[in-house]
Amino acid sequence: MPKTIDDKHEPERIRRLLLDAPLIQNACAADLLVFLFRHPHTLLTNEQLAAFVGYSMKEVAKALDLFSDAGLLERAIQRSSHAARMYSLVLEGPQGKGLKLLLNEACTRQGRQHILAALAPPQPEKAAEVHLRLLKRA
Amino acid sequence: MLEADLVKTGITGFDDILLGGIPRGNVILVEGGIGTGKTTLGVEFVYRGASQFGEPGIIVLFEVSPEKVSRDALRFGWDLAALERQGRLKIVFTTREVLRQELQQADSVLLEEAAKIGARRMFVDGVGRLFGDGNATNESRSAFHVLTEGLQRESLTAVLAVEASSYDDKHRANSMPEESIADTVIRLRMEDSQRAVLRSLEVVKSRGQAYQMGRHTLQILDGNGLRVYRRVQALTQPRDTAATYDPSERISSGIPGLDELVNGGYFVGSTTVVAGISGVGKSVMGIQYIAEGARRGERCIMLSLDERVPQIIRNARSIGVDLQKEIDRGLIHLEYDSPQEIEVDVHFDQIERKVKEFKPTRVVIDSLSTYASTLGTLGRIFRDFFNALTALMKEQKVTTVYNHENPEMLGMATMMGQFAMSSLVDNIILLNWAEIGDTFRLGMTVAKMRANPVNRVTHECEVIDGKGMRVLARELRLLGPQKPFSSFAGLVSRAPERRSFDAPNIREPNTGTIEENIG
Repeated sequence: MPKTIDDKHEPERIRRLLLDAPLIQNACAADLLVFLFRHPHTLLTNEQLAAFVGYSMKEVAKALDLFSDAGLLERAIQRSSHAARMYSLVLEGPQGKGLKLLLNEACTRQGRQHILAALAPPQPEKAAEVHLRLLKRA
Repeated sequence: MLEADLVKTGITGFDDILLGGIPRGNVILVEGGIGTGKTTLGVEFVYRGASQFGEPGIIVLFEVSPEKVSRDALRFGWDLAALERQGRLKIVFTTREVLRQELQQADSVLLEEAAKIGARRMFVDGVGRLFGDGNATNESRSAFHVLTEGLQRESLTAVLAVEASSYDDKHRANSMPEESIADTVIRLRMEDSQRAVLRSLEVVKSRGQAYQMGRHTLQILDGNGLRVYRRVQALTQPRDTAATYDPSERISSGIPGLDELVNGGYFVGSTTVVAGISGVGKSVMGIQYIAEGARRGERCIMLSLDERVPQIIRNARSIGVDLQKEIDRGLIHLEYDSPQEIEVDVHFDQIERKVKEFKPTRVVIDSLSTYASTLGTLGRIFRDFFNALTALMKEQKVTTVYNHENPEMLGMATMMGQFAMSSLVDNIILLNWAEIGDTFRLGMTVAKMRANPVNRVTHECEVIDGKGMRVLARELRLLGPQKPFSSFAGLVSRAPERRSFDAPNIREPNTGTIEENIG
């Protein structure tokens, strides 16, 4: 199937959106933020949160700290008697600027794929394989 | 201390069932299977509180994402996101495991969140498995008890939705412990009705208040939300006001000659059934009845299950009645409702609202037999519906004529047996064809006239194009060989025989030639 003009320009558009959202530096941060966007007030344990987004607790904790430091996330104080914490996403205000468009994109499968592709570190071996395959077809 | 006031749910029709609302602080258990409307009920309860009654609320979800609940709520015109932005609503996503742990804590984070926004209402969706799978264990009972204590401590009026598997009417032997602890139990059902499925709502119990018992019809309507229709049998107030107006006042039938047969007209607020086979002129009588009302400046309604409004207007034109003119004057309201899959509570509610809003003095229902074929005459639905309808009309001082298509010979038996409605009917008028020679001639017999003398003589009628129906004089100076009905016996039984004796001395509705009578 030939790609449409929009499809061709999509990666570039996503890259520009990511430039406006410097907090999103990896797939875990992107997926965690999408989860919190869909569940703006969440009362969960760290383990449950990690399980819902599908990343390690360490990665999730790192992303949460980042969001919290940026004022994007409010976390209830962890009490010893409570396993769960309340997480509230704060998108209103300057910290949420530029994020809503990106999050709306990330809520679709295709949009998420584009975002994950843009966040993925460059893989020279794979790029070379693709180049070779295209040459053979030509 | 519990406050004595009632919390309005804001759900259309539901507060009427609850006689105003639910006592504040009650823990409300909503049971039901999938698709019965539990989530919609809970969300609407919180939404109405926050948007209409100044009572912020909190919604707790387990499996469904808040995003989807907000999206679905928009379908009903409820902007949950806007309420969240205004700090009047909070939707919290959690797991049952966390909630269960939270309930064990004196300083519940969840209830703290509720307190932050000053929540007065709470909805927890899908609490069933929180307390086990419906087994009445001590653990589930105490877990639920802890929850209710926490809610009470925060003065929250909470709706807790319980999944169906634990609460299947057919499979459970004992009531769930939650049911006895909860203050209010509401059961939602999907009920088979022929090949259709209807939703219903029942208040099983509610501490501290009276309420309308039984299964009421529930609908989920786009752009509105839930709507509860009181079951027709449940009365909001005693319908005995019919006795408060002059019961001797009469109202004209609109059929020349008929008023004299019924001692001057129907009693105000009375119930008249016009019975006869198809095509005999029942609808014509109905049209003339409302046209006569309009002529006198009275408001009238004709509700038809058989013919659509344009068809009724056309039929009326053929007998010289311009219904459109009266509709435009605001004196006549015609309404058609399809008899297919009538939801009886909904239908009755529509009639009740129309009658109270339009305030007619005359109503024609065309026809009872269509109701019977739709609702069935087995069981109580038809009879209860008819009972409620006659009570409503009497309460509103409406003189009502019901048409009844009736194929039987003498036209009375089904009203007493199959339909069992004769005791509710004040007047019965039979229309029959009588075959005399090679001609069918129309006969009218007043078979019953409550609190009136009636001679039960069959009179001849005619329906003339551009003129309508008239009752003819019994003794006519006939032109030609035609003999008057008084010359025959056995007209109603459709076996007329010419009789040789004189007709009994009876009061005549009209005298004169046919031409004079219809002229």
